[in-house]
Amino acid sequence: MSIAPAEQQTSEPDVVEAVDTPWITLVWNDPVNLMSYVTWVFQTHFGYPKQHAEKLMMDVHLKGRAVVATGPKEQMEVDTEALQGYGLWATFQKDT
Amino acid sequence: MARAFAADGEELVAIMDEDERAVVAGLCLQVMDLVAPASAPTKGESADPFEAIVAGLGDLSTDTEDGAAGLEVPNRAFGLDHDRDPALDRLFPTGNREDEQEAAEFRRFTEQGLRQRKHQGLATTVRTLEAARDDRWVVTRPQAPAVLVALTDIRLVMGERLGLRTDEDATRLEELIETLEADDPAVFALSVYDFLTWLQESLTQALMGEDE
Repeated sequence: MSIAPAEQQTSEPDVVEAVDTPWITLVWNDPVNLMSYVTWVFQTHFGYPKQHAEKLMMDVHLKGRAVVATGPKEQMEVDTEALQGYGLWATFQKDT
Repeated sequence: MARAFAADGEELVAIMDEDERAVVAGLCLQVMDLVAPASAPTKGESADPFEAIVAGLGDLSTDTEDGAAGLEVPNRAFGLDHDRDPALDRLFPTGNREDEQEAAEFRRFTEQGLRQRKHQGLATTVRTLEAARDDRWVVTRPQAPAVLVALTDIRLVMGERLGLRTDEDATRLEELIETLEADDPAVFALSVYDFLTWLQESLTQALMGEDE
């Protein structure tokens, strides 16, 4: 797995204004989940437009992980649980 | 010969014969056992070598722990205070990789619910398989997410059994499989895995409205 540093968090300005929202949800790359399915999950769970969902999926695939949501801790826990329910490996953490 | 999922009006339909449906339904039941909260499969319970693989009782010749890529596999069990079946660590991985207390708490509050939902989705999938007539496996649009997740869960468990944990493992596995005897259980397991991948891809595309 190619775990490149996820230095591109600022490239997701349309998720949430990240000024005072110090928690993030990450999705980690794995060799089992299908690219089409991961895109479908991002569209279905977050309601992201297809283009944005595909970009996040490619970030996960190529960089090893991607920040898929930003917001309050409680919301990140809800997102993480839902994404794990879909079989993706999602985690939440403080946005450092 | 099976035909992948395609949209047919409001339904998504695959053509699969009885044997093929039985394989998928059997795998659903195996993974249901795995995710059921109270279940703890014990060694030697299953006489069927293929079922034994999925149940975590059999060993596969592809599952090497010492590959170079193995070092890169992150700890999915972070925050868990005991060892358990690695497939469960993949189905219910840690929710926080930095803070062990957060990880343990997240697991405590979410894992039982996740197990229940996965169990229900797999059961829904079995019902759709059992309802097949004339080899038509019919999945309605409302059922499709549950079936997609069920196929994912089965593939995650099989992938774990096959030692598929990184993208490099996938390449390694393809090369390794060429060198195995045709009757090696791993060869059959991988062919079933590929079949499920093909089904899931077609169902995803059919649901998203992109028949190729």
